[in-house]
Amino acid sequence: ISGLFRNVVGGKVLTHEDLDKPMKGMEEHLLKKNVAREAAIRLCEGVERSLVGVKTGSFQTVDATIRSAMESSLRKILTPTSSLDLLREIQSVTSPSLASLQSRRPYVISIVGVNGVGKSTNLSKIAFFLLQNKYRVLIAACDTFRSGAVEQLRVHARNLKELGEREGGFIELYEKGYGKDAANIAKDAVSYAAQANFDVVLIDTAGRRHNDQRLMSSLEKFAKFAQPDKILMVGEALVGTDSVQQARNFNAAFGAGRHLDGFIISKCDTVGEMIGTLVSMVHATGIPVVFLGTGQHYSDLRTLNIGWAVKLLMS
Amino acid sequence: MIKEICSALLEADVNVKLVGSLRKSIKQTVNFKELAPGVNKKRLIQKAVFDELVKLVDPHAEPFKPKKGKPNVIMFVGLQGSGKTTTCTKLARHYQSRGFKSCLVCADTFRAGAFDQLKQNATKAKIPYYGSLTQTDPVVVAKEGVDKFKKERFEVIIVDTSGRHRQEQDLFDEMVQIQRAVTPDQTIMVLDASIGQQAEAQSKAFKEAADFGAIIITKTDGNANGGGAISAYVSRSRAFCR
Ligand SMILES: Nc1nc2c(ncn2[C@@H]2O[C@H](COP(=O)(O)OP(=O)(O)OP(=O)(O)O)[C@@H](O)[C@H]2O)c(=O)[nH]1
Ligand SMILES: Nc1nc2c(ncn2[C@@H]2O[C@H](COP(=O)(O)OP(=O)(O)OP(=O)(O)O)[C@@H](O)[C@H]2O)c(=O)[nH]1
Ligand SMILES: [Mg+2]
Ligand SMILES: [Mg+2]
Repeated sequence: ISGLFRNVVGGKVLTHEDLDKPMKGMEEHLLKKNVAREAAIRLCEGVERSLVGVKTGSFQTVDATIRSAMESSLRKILTPTSSLDLLREIQSVTSPSLASLQSRRPYVISIVGVNGVGKSTNLSKIAFFLLQNKYRVLIAACDTFRSGAVEQLRVHARNLKELGEREGGFIELYEKGYGKDAANIAKDAVSYAAQANFDVVLIDTAGRRHNDQRLMSSLEKFAKFAQPDKILMVGEALVGTDSVQQARNFNAAFGAGRHLDGFIISKCDTVGEMIGTLVSMVHATGIPVVFLGTGQHYSDLRTLNIGWAVKLLMS
Repeated sequence: MIKEICSALLEADVNVKLVGSLRKSIKQTVNFKELAPGVNKKRLIQKAVFDELVKLVDPHAEPFKPKKGKPNVIMFVGLQGSGKTTTCTKLARHYQSRGFKSCLVCADTFRAGAFDQLKQNATKAKIPYYGSLTQTDPVVVAKEGVDKFKKERFEVIIVDTSGRHRQEQDLFDEMVQIQRAVTPDQTIMVLDASIGQQAEAQSKAFKEAADFGAIIITKTDGNANGGGAISAYVSRSRAFCR
């Protein structure tokens, strides 16, 4: 971040003119971190607005003042407004309290996103996490389009079977091959899971371009048929400005009254400090980040540590 | 005007540094103070920008052309999920339809279902393929496949490899070993059009390790403007292949 005004120390009432140049520097800094331009500009505008007319603290430079305002602004945008305790949510559905008058049913999670971002891989990582918590997990192979998609999940289910049974969980793959309607398979998988006493159904879907009207519109029927408790979108940390539109279009694809419940930001291990995608996607939708993908192995799944993210973004 | 153009380039994921240097060289080319009155300033800037961009993406080299009657080995490399496996088949079909005896080798022994994916694609396109469900060393599979197809007098032999990234040295070493084993006539890096600011660092690392001779940009049917790809390309220029 620019060293401008570094020597202006303490007790200065900030004007628009004081802030203009260093804010430009801040914007460029965010762009270099792969924050989409739209999100970077909006964040900077917010920080600038909050600082005009403010007196800098004693011994505090203008730069440091901007920095700390940007830090809290990032922290605020990344902090979810409601609890993200997935295991507790699952518990409340699979073992409902008597008072709730609900009967036991499987918890349904579906994973969506554009092509090649890591949907199937991160779905398998979530399965591993659930197995470690001794759940009975059904994976539904609802990508009936891409070559090898079913076999890919079959391999994961086979690998996880051994790992999972050691941990006390159970896993099975529900598949109906290629070419069939994904929404129907999803629906059947959920009924099968209820019958066979599964705790969680993880539904994989085919990758689709967010600007492909036809494929995007089929998501509405999918949500209606599968009735997922959680729709998670995978966005890869590698993606640039397109992140904003991806997030918006997927968030709007499930029909009135239904939207995304969270993001999985994958491939974080491939971008070093340039983790701006997570800011862009949250900025575009207000939907929280539930998991980060940090590698290609089953254990490479993390929850978002906001302090860590803000530190990387500001470094 | 220049400002607007630079904003548009940033919006399109062109590398932040690159936009800066572009801005400078345009300002140098178009000397605003000495413009005669009545000259269409907007047109002039547009032309300068266009020329600069063309300069950036002009390959300055002849694209690779496989030769009939001899084996031409082409190896695919790139980041995870960029579209290598899909594009391999597309390229094989492209050469097949131009009369080259073409085939595919699956040297991705890591990703779950990778061989099934290539197999199903190849079968649909009626292209012979090689791979193994049991051999876990991609170097061995690659070598076996290429040797077999060379013996059978195939003309275009395309080798698909696993996705990898510069932060994992082991994966890069593996790529170099595969390359040594099959000595490709052409190495192609596959890049997703939607890539952001990592484009430069990643493609630079791939260039240094695998010295690719061409980049194929995939998923241009999406929304992204491919600016990241320009950045990647500029840092590592050579023949451009689509
Ligand atoms: N480095 C890294 N690679 C990842 C991560 N998550 C997934 N990948 C890799 O990205 C590639 C694509 O992953 P998939 O899970 O097949 O992606 P997908 O979204 O299901 O792809 P489609 O179904 O074809 O749209 C694979 O090579 C994965 O190993 C991650 O967190 N880090
Ligand atoms: N829309 C669109 N999708 C594409 C294109 N090329 C590939 N894909 C999709 O992107 C996803 C990933 O493609 P793959 O060919 O599996 O990518 P890869 O580089 O082989 O992936 P790894 O082997 O896991 O590293 C698949 O869903 C493909 O169908 C393209 O040009 N346009
Ligand atoms: Mg998939
Ligand atoms: Mg592949």
